[in-house]
Amino acid sequence: MPVRTELIEQLVRATEEVFETMVFRTLTTGAPIDGDALRPRSNVVGLVGFGGTVSGLVALYSTQEAAEEIAASMLGVPREEVNGEMPDAIGEVTNMIAGSFRLKLAERGETLAISIPWVTVGSDFYTKYSSDVQRSMCPFRMGDSEICVELILTRN
Amino acid sequence: MRFLVVDDSSTMRRIIVNTLGKLGYSHVVEAANGREGLDRLATADVDVIITDWNMPEMNGIEFIRQVRTLEKTRETPILMVTTNAAKADIVEALRAGVNSYIVKPFTPDTFREKIQAVTAR
Repeated sequence: MPVRTELIEQLVRATEEVFETMVFRTLTTGAPIDGDALRPRSNVVGLVGFGGTVSGLVALYSTQEAAEEIAASMLGVPREEVNGEMPDAIGEVTNMIAGSFRLKLAERGETLAISIPWVTVGSDFYTKYSSDVQRSMCPFRMGDSEICVELILTRN
Repeated sequence: MRFLVVDDSSTMRRIIVNTLGKLGYSHVVEAANGREGLDRLATADVDVIITDWNMPEMNGIEFIRQVRTLEKTRETPILMVTTNAAKADIVEALRAGVNSYIVKPFTPDTFREKIQAVTAR
């Protein structure tokens, strides 16, 4: 079953706002993809959980290069000067997307609490979720890089 | 003007410290959670506190409640920088003792305006 369209729209808007105001980059938004057939190539995954009237996860997928570009842009430094700060920056971006998403849902009467973010960085891993979830992947282009934000909802 | 910046994200602390620097404020003490924030306050005098809400060990609300029980920080202006911006969140933060509020994501101009308002108190 696809994720409710209005939830996806809120997540897309939240992502665009965060990149515009904190990463100083304008994203080009692609068409959302439902289900779990397609997964982006990513070395960096940021996750924030939420629970309440709806429950699930917001996940940000990025390549190492794009993640470093995001961190550099947030910090106002060249990419070469981003060292150990990249995971923290990705965690913060994911946190802001989830927080902004939560706020948009709160305005519609939904009540959610969000977790602190966690970030996985590596070259040979995949993220497996329970099969009993609804998933929708939102692809974005940031210059030459693709990043994806996924909404994963439990079926309650 | 001396600032205490409490945030578990080193990225956010750096963004805040850089923005304060651009406004001419270079005296900044940093802490990664509320517990560390209280430790810093035990040894440093600050004029303004900027704190996140969601942090491990001690969150921003608990930190602010503790800050307001201390004689030397009972009246210190506190600016909260957070993604928690539902009406109920803002009410909770104000009850805990926050003076001003910035919702993440924020523009540099918004941050500048809030800092100027808080430091003008």
